[in-house]
Amino acid sequence: MIHIDRIVAGTIVVTAVKGRLDSSSSPKLEEFLAGAPSEGTILLDFAELTYISSAGLRVVLKATKLVRGAGGTLAVCGLIPQVHEVFDVSGFSSLIPIHPSREAALATMT
Amino acid sequence: MTDHELDLRLPNDLAELDALSSRIEAFMEAAGIATTPAYRLQLAVDEFFNNAVDYGYPDGRAGEIGIEVRRVGDKLHLVFSDDGDPFDPFAAPAPDLDGALAERRVGGLGVHLVRTLCDSFAYAREKDRNVKRLTFALAD
Repeated sequence: MIHIDRIVAGTIVVTAVKGRLDSSSSPKLEEFLAGAPSEGTILLDFAELTYISSAGLRVVLKATKLVRGAGGTLAVCGLIPQVHEVFDVSGFSSLIPIHPSREAALATMT
Repeated sequence: MTDHELDLRLPNDLAELDALSSRIEAFMEAAGIATTPAYRLQLAVDEFFNNAVDYGYPDGRAGEIGIEVRRVGDKLHLVFSDDGDPFDPFAAPAPDLDGALAERRVGGLGVHLVRTLCDSFAYAREKDRNVKRLTFALAD
């Protein structure tokens, strides 16, 4: 179960993901991100993401490579402690900037 | 002391995953398990189920996956078993987590997450089944 919204905040494209990112829902995010412009500044707002597995991490990694390959920037924000733990343990925290909230991310990234 | 128990037998079919995660979530709520250990156990079942279905039955045969969860004292116990081909996930090398982004490969990432987030893990081949036993601390 997943719900994805795209919001444009100035020069930053925010993709808000709500629900669970597992092997059954991750392809939907992958498809959504593949259809988005990859250049520019992308923020994945995970404030309402309650769960992520390695399948979800793979999609985040793939999107990060795509955006950086096009010269853009990708960051995430709003991780609940359990999702943050998965980012830490996977080593993703050292690869992808993590902001506490959308407001904090937009203030930093603008 | 065993006060809560869940015992599931499922076919090796990824279509079972959504219902499985709902069953585990309901169990965690009923057993009053805190969010962090509940999440870690959910992740272990999810990763093992995907791996078993994706790699355990290369000939496409029907199989059976067993999931037992018990709360014993201050620990959560998980026994995950399948009748797929013999495979010890804990014997596999850890993924490369230090490489630069471009070189980063994430094979084995699921097992790495699980073994890091649990308190103890063990694998055995018993009666033609892969049996993984894990414990998780209950403290949030």
